[in-house]
Amino acid sequence: MTRRHLDVILCSVLIVAGVLILTLDGLAQGGVETQLGSMLMPRVVASLIILFSLMIGLPSLRGILQDRPLLPTELIEAEGLDGVVIYIAIFTAYWWALPILGFLVATPAVILAVAVLLGGRSWMPILAMSLITPTIIFYGCRELIRVYLPEWSF
Amino acid sequence: MFSNIFQGFATVMSAGPLLGIVLGVCVGIVFGAIPGISAIMAIAIILPLTFYVDPIVGITMLLAVYKAGIYGGSISAILINTPGAAASFLTSLDGHALARSGKAGKALCMSLYASVTGEMLATLVLIFVAAPISLISLQAGPIEKVWLLVFAFTVVGSMTGESVPRGLLSCCLGMMFAMVGMSSLTGAVRLTFGIPDLMSGFTFLPVLIGVLVMPEVIDAVRRRKTPHQDLVLKVSDDPADSRVSLREYRSVLGTIIKSSGIGTVIGALPGLGSSAAAFLAYGEAKRSSKNPEEFGKGSLHGIAAAESSNNAVCGSSMIPMLTLSIPGDDVTALLMGAFLIHGITPGPTIFYEHTDVIYAIFAGFLLVDLFLLVIARFGFPLWMRVASVPPYFIFPCVTVFAVVGAFTANQSLSDVMILMVFTLLGYGMRLVGLNPAAFIIGFILMPLLEQNLDQAVSIVGGDYLRMLASPIGWIFIGLSVLSVVSAIRSNRRGRRKAAALAAAE
Repeated sequence: MTRRHLDVILCSVLIVAGVLILTLDGLAQGGVETQLGSMLMPRVVASLIILFSLMIGLPSLRGILQDRPLLPTELIEAEGLDGVVIYIAIFTAYWWALPILGFLVATPAVILAVAVLLGGRSWMPILAMSLITPTIIFYGCRELIRVYLPEWSF
Repeated sequence: MFSNIFQGFATVMSAGPLLGIVLGVCVGIVFGAIPGISAIMAIAIILPLTFYVDPIVGITMLLAVYKAGIYGGSISAILINTPGAAASFLTSLDGHALARSGKAGKALCMSLYASVTGEMLATLVLIFVAAPISLISLQAGPIEKVWLLVFAFTVVGSMTGESVPRGLLSCCLGMMFAMVGMSSLTGAVRLTFGIPDLMSGFTFLPVLIGVLVMPEVIDAVRRRKTPHQDLVLKVSDDPADSRVSLREYRSVLGTIIKSSGIGTVIGALPGLGSSAAAFLAYGEAKRSSKNPEEFGKGSLHGIAAAESSNNAVCGSSMIPMLTLSIPGDDVTALLMGAFLIHGITPGPTIFYEHTDVIYAIFAGFLLVDLFLLVIARFGFPLWMRVASVPPYFIFPCVTVFAVVGAFTANQSLSDVMILMVFTLLGYGMRLVGLNPAAFIIGFILMPLLEQNLDQAVSIVGGDYLRMLASPIGWIFIGLSVLSVVSAIRSNRRGRRKAAALAAAE
C-alpha cells in the first residue's frame, strides 16, 4: 500500500460523504429559520471538501494508472504497524473494561500491557508504576478536582 | 498600559499563580526533555487540570508548560542527540558536538540563556504590540471578521499542510466536525445521523488529545524497535567548560538579539512555527558569521541562534491569537481552546473585557522566564536523567493521562470513545499528509465564522454585494489569495528542487 492508494481511498470516501451532505435532506432537524439556514455552511464546507479531495485524489489516481515512480513521501512503511494494531486493541479493551472493572483495576493492566508492547522488561519498576500511577490519579482526581473515575461495577 | 502591567504583576505575585508557574515549568522541562514527547502533548495533558483553578493560574501554568517545553527539547538534543522537539534539531548539531567534547554544561547553559533571552524579548514585543493592534482590529465589524477568518483558514491551511490542497482539506475537515451537533445560532441539530450522543457535538478536549497527542504515542509504538539512546556523558575537568562566562554571553548577544527578532516576526505570522524560525535564524547566523565553518561542530553562536529564535516564537505566536482570534499553530490553537474553556474569548476585546486577566497573564509570561532560568539552571542534574528515561515508562502513562483528560471534560465514557475515534483519525491524517494543526484550527474557528457570517448577513440584508464593500475586507481577501498563491509557488519550487536532486542521484 502506498500513499497514492490511500489518497484515492480517502478522497473517494470524502467525496461520497460530501455528496451525501449536499444532497440528503433531513441532516438538520428543528431550530429556528434564519436567512442563512442551518445547512448552508455544512454544504459550503462539503463542496470545498469535494474540491480539495479531487485535487488530491486525481493526481494520485493518475500516478497509479501511469505507474509513475514513487516519491519518498509517497512510501508508507509497514514496519511496526502490527504494534499499532495491538495498541488500538488494548485501548479498545480498556474503554470496554473501564465501566465494568473500574479505573483502579483496568488501568494497571493497561499500563503493564503498553509497557510490555513498547519493549519494557524491567518488571519491578514497571509493576510499581502500573500500581502507583492509577492510585494517585484516581484519588487525586476524586479529592482535588472532584472527578469521579469509573469504579468496579460488580 | 504600564499601570495595567504593574497591576498584573501584583495579581500574579500570589501563591496560586506562582505555584502554577513552578509546576508548569517543571512539567514543561520534563516533557520537553523526553524525546518523542512535545510541548503540545504536555499542554494537552495538563489542560484538564486547569479547568478547576482560576483562569490566571490555569493559563499561566499552560504558558509555563509551553515555554519550558520548547526549552526542554534542547536538553535531549544536546545530551543524547535526540531532539525532544522538532525545533531543537539544529541545537542538537552544535550542542551534541559540544557535549561529546565534554562541554555539555556549556551547551546546556548557552541553550538556556539564549532561550530565556529570546523569550523575554518576544514577550516584551507581545506586551507592547498586542494592545495597539487590538485597537485597530476593534474597528472591524462582522463583515470584516468574516473575511479575516477566511484569511485565517486559507493562510493556516495553505502554510501548514504538506501541499496546499492537503492543508486546506485538513482545515475543512476540522470545520465540518465542528458543525456536528446543535447549532448555537439556530438550535437545529445537524449532521448527527440519528446518534443521540452527538447532539451536543464533539467535546473539544477528546478531539484535541486524539488528533494532536495520541498519534505521537502510536508513532512511538511503531518505532518501538528503534534502539533507545542512552545517556553517556563525558565531563571535562575544567570548570570553565561547564558554564558560559559573561564574555561568551556578550559575544553571542548580537546573534541572540537578531535571532530573537527573526523568531518574533516568524511567530507572529500564522502557520510557520518554531522550526521555520530556528532554520531561518540559524542560516542567517551562519551566513553573517566570521567562522561559518564552526557551525554544526559545536558553535555557541549556532546554539544561541537556534534556541533564541525558536523560543521567541512562544511569545509572538500569541499576537495574532490575542488580537485577531487567529491561532497561528497547533500550540496556540490549544491555548485558544484553554482561553475559551475559561470563558475568555481571545480577540481585540480581550484587552477591555478582561484587562486584569490579560495583563496578569503577560506578567506571568515574564515571571515564567525568570523561573525557567532558575529552575532549569539548578536542576541540570535532574533534567539530564529525565532525558534518558526509556519510552516504556512514559507512553503507558501518557495513554492513561489522555483517557483521564478526555473523561474529565464531561465525566463520560462517550468522550473516551470520541478520543479513540479521533486518535485513529489523527493518525490516519498523518499517514496521508493531512495536517492536524490545520484541522484543530478549523475546528476551533468554525463557530466564530458561522456567528460572524450570520451577523454580517443580517447587516447587509438581501444585498450580498455589500459583503464586498469593506476596504478592510478587500485587504483580507487579497491576503488570502496571496497566501494561497505564494504557498503553491513555494511548493512547486520545493518539488522542482526534489526532482532535480532525485535526477542528480
